[in-house]
Amino acid sequence: MKNFRRTKLVFNSFLPLSLTLVFFIFCLGREGDRETQLLAIKGGTILTMAGERIEEGVVLIKGKKILAVGKEVEIPEEAAIFDAQGKHVLPGIIDSMTYYGIRPFDLNDMENPVTPENRIIFAYYPFGEFMRGKEGINRDREILSGGVTSVYIAPGDRQVIGGQGAVVKTWAESYDELILREPAALDMTIGDTAKYEMKREAKTPVTRMGISTLIRTNLLQAQEYLRKKKEAEEKEGEEKEKSPLFPRDPRMEALAALLNQEIPARIEADFADDIRTALRIADEFGFKLIIDSGLGAYKLKETLAEKGIPVVLGPPTHPFVQGGEVSMTRELYREMNEYNASELIKAGVLTSLASFGFGFGRFGYATQGRWLLIEAAYLAGFGVPDEEVLKMITINAAQILGVDDRVGSIEAGKDADLIILDGYPLDIKTWVDEVFIDGVNVYSRKGGRK
Amino acid sequence: MRKNRNGVLLFIFILILIFPELLPSSEEQEILALKGAKVHTAASPPIPSAVVLIREGKILEVGSKVAIPQGATIIDLEGKEIIPGLIDEHSHIGSYFDVNEFTQPLGPENRALDALNLDDEDWYEALKGGVTTVVTGPGSGERMGGQSVTIKTWGKDPLQRILKESREAKMAVNARDLSHIPSIRKMFYKALEYKDKWEKYEASEKKGAPPEKDLALEALVPVLEGKEKLRLHVHFANDMLTFLRLKDEFGFDLTFIHSSEAYKIAREIAKRKVPVITLPLATRIPVCDEMLLGIKELFEAGVKVSLHTDHPVVHQKLLRLNAGMAIRYGVPEEEALKMVTLNPAQSSKINSRVGSIEKGKDADLVVLNGVWYQPRTRVEMVFVDGTLAYDRANEEKFKEERK
Repeated sequence: MKNFRRTKLVFNSFLPLSLTLVFFIFCLGREGDRETQLLAIKGGTILTMAGERIEEGVVLIKGKKILAVGKEVEIPEEAAIFDAQGKHVLPGIIDSMTYYGIRPFDLNDMENPVTPENRIIFAYYPFGEFMRGKEGINRDREILSGGVTSVYIAPGDRQVIGGQGAVVKTWAESYDELILREPAALDMTIGDTAKYEMKREAKTPVTRMGISTLIRTNLLQAQEYLRKKKEAEEKEGEEKEKSPLFPRDPRMEALAALLNQEIPARIEADFADDIRTALRIADEFGFKLIIDSGLGAYKLKETLAEKGIPVVLGPPTHPFVQGGEVSMTRELYREMNEYNASELIKAGVLTSLASFGFGFGRFGYATQGRWLLIEAAYLAGFGVPDEEVLKMITINAAQILGVDDRVGSIEAGKDADLIILDGYPLDIKTWVDEVFIDGVNVYSRKGGRK
Repeated sequence: MRKNRNGVLLFIFILILIFPELLPSSEEQEILALKGAKVHTAASPPIPSAVVLIREGKILEVGSKVAIPQGATIIDLEGKEIIPGLIDEHSHIGSYFDVNEFTQPLGPENRALDALNLDDEDWYEALKGGVTTVVTGPGSGERMGGQSVTIKTWGKDPLQRILKESREAKMAVNARDLSHIPSIRKMFYKALEYKDKWEKYEASEKKGAPPEKDLALEALVPVLEGKEKLRLHVHFANDMLTFLRLKDEFGFDLTFIHSSEAYKIAREIAKRKVPVITLPLATRIPVCDEMLLGIKELFEAGVKVSLHTDHPVVHQKLLRLNAGMAIRYGVPEEEALKMVTLNPAQSSKINSRVGSIEKGKDADLVVLNGVWYQPRTRVEMVFVDGTLAYDRANEEKFKEERK
């Protein structure tokens, strides 16, 4: 009896300790393997977005990257297997225009219509609830439930030049890995929302003329700034030593990046005439251009195709990105054509579909990006082929954002960002079952915490 | 000889009785036959390959074994689906800028019809989405917004489109304003006193001076008598409970609009048989999964649920997508169809005319090119009162005609 008790005592004190030790070693081992861990997603219908669909194929993942994809991929013995039999495998969805993770009041600098120096990454908050939670980077189940793995985050559209946007993943192991590209573009607006008239203030701009003049004036200043900077840099020897340090300006630096074609301009413009203005200014100053929202873009499809200017379209179920409610945009309503996307794609314009959605924790905004597959399904009813409509939310989006070397399709060498769906992607009854980002299963529909 | 002639006449009479189509048909009696489509009647299980007969704007017959009379115009709809014209039970279509009389927090006498733009372009857009009947009403900026209109989205004569200009009172509870409810209650008391005054005046065979007319109280009397409906804009569960209490007390006919938190008090609502109108179009509105799953819970608790768009909040043409969302979140397909057809018709008391494909009802039908609730499926044709009001194949032509 006594002996038994002692054994029990020993057992009681050592068991937790040894268990912890084993677990610790196990974790260490896993941690070390992170870069070489193998995972095979097997048996699903793979829509790679880079060619043919593969029935009952295999995606082999090594660490954070895709190692191989195809029907005849040999699965190494040590690889973990994920059975995707009867399911669809897609690259992670990319929402090419959002205000995701930004507090609503951080979106627009209402004091000033032109703030190219503002970088939205300063306002980006991927850490879940303030002063709550255990994880560093939050696993936002709401946006992950829509299969969204990368988003473009932008400053709001209430300013003429709002600032610089960024491309980020919706989850990563660390903050540094979260950022795909920053700055990714300079966000501008040509249209009614950028006017102070709407805010009942007598402040420039109150017309479209004022908007264009503001853009031109600032770009002219930036050209002048670049010229002076070049002059200062070209000075040599004694002259260089004597002259004062060149006075740098963050605003001008941001515009200079645009003029030097390091980043494109993303101009939100809906009326065909506003798009024409954007094209005109881009021609005058020679910068790369992306049209956002573009409800009237179909009227300029040939020009856009010829100049290679991509269009990021808003969601078709609520296309009024500018001005919000339908009631405020009667004229815009007439500009609209439900076959916009279809006409652009047929003309050869690189087109993506984005949510333009808000989403910030408990601020009461919807993470609208999670519905992109349903928006895509809706668009498929208006003449866009299924394959194209899925490209609009994956590879096309990646190309427009300039991150297609990392994400957007299931190809060897790209990041292992992929989603597994329980049915055909464009069926309203289909759900995203699993989300993998950097090879990590960050979301499971079943059994996950709610 | 004479007897014989009578016999011939009798024979002809019987023949005509059996085969009425032998009579030369007049223009009005032209019959339209929609053949071959899968018909979801909303009142019975779907009929795989059915025939729908339409005459004089009404549904004459529907079924799989219906004989097509000679001379009927036949439209072959093999491979298509037919659903009843959709009904949006709460919206502000056609009255964008004039929905809220802010100066008048208690204005049950205000009539949405007086601010209705019957030539608005959105009517046609709604029609294109398969919506044929809507309730459009005042906004929710005031405690009592006014009276709504039940109207079709298409018709040759705009005023003929109106199904009823109800005296239904639209009210709103914008939460957490405690003086709100007492002010409404006081108005109810006043209305009851007003009713009493007039009843006594009538009973006294109109002796003396008649009581003063009051438009506002007059609008509330039929509501308190239970003849007209009270539609309540409400989001919070506690506000719904407040109105359930008021209903218990005053006995009015109540419908909840928006009803975001209805699922939290499904049993209380079901017990009082209050219909619930809700909005699952999460692509536009920040709606959480719990609320979307709540639609199924409400239905299972026995609540009559309708889905709405609240146009222009969500465009009316997306009403069908709303039903798709409900299906995504677990509502059975046929039940989701009822939520945008028969249920709103019943709760608006217009089900004798619209809401399902049944003999004798208005021939408001929507023809689709695929599974009716899928987002990618398009509306091909819309019939309103038996007339082809929208045809996708001839869209441009129809647009021209509208101008």
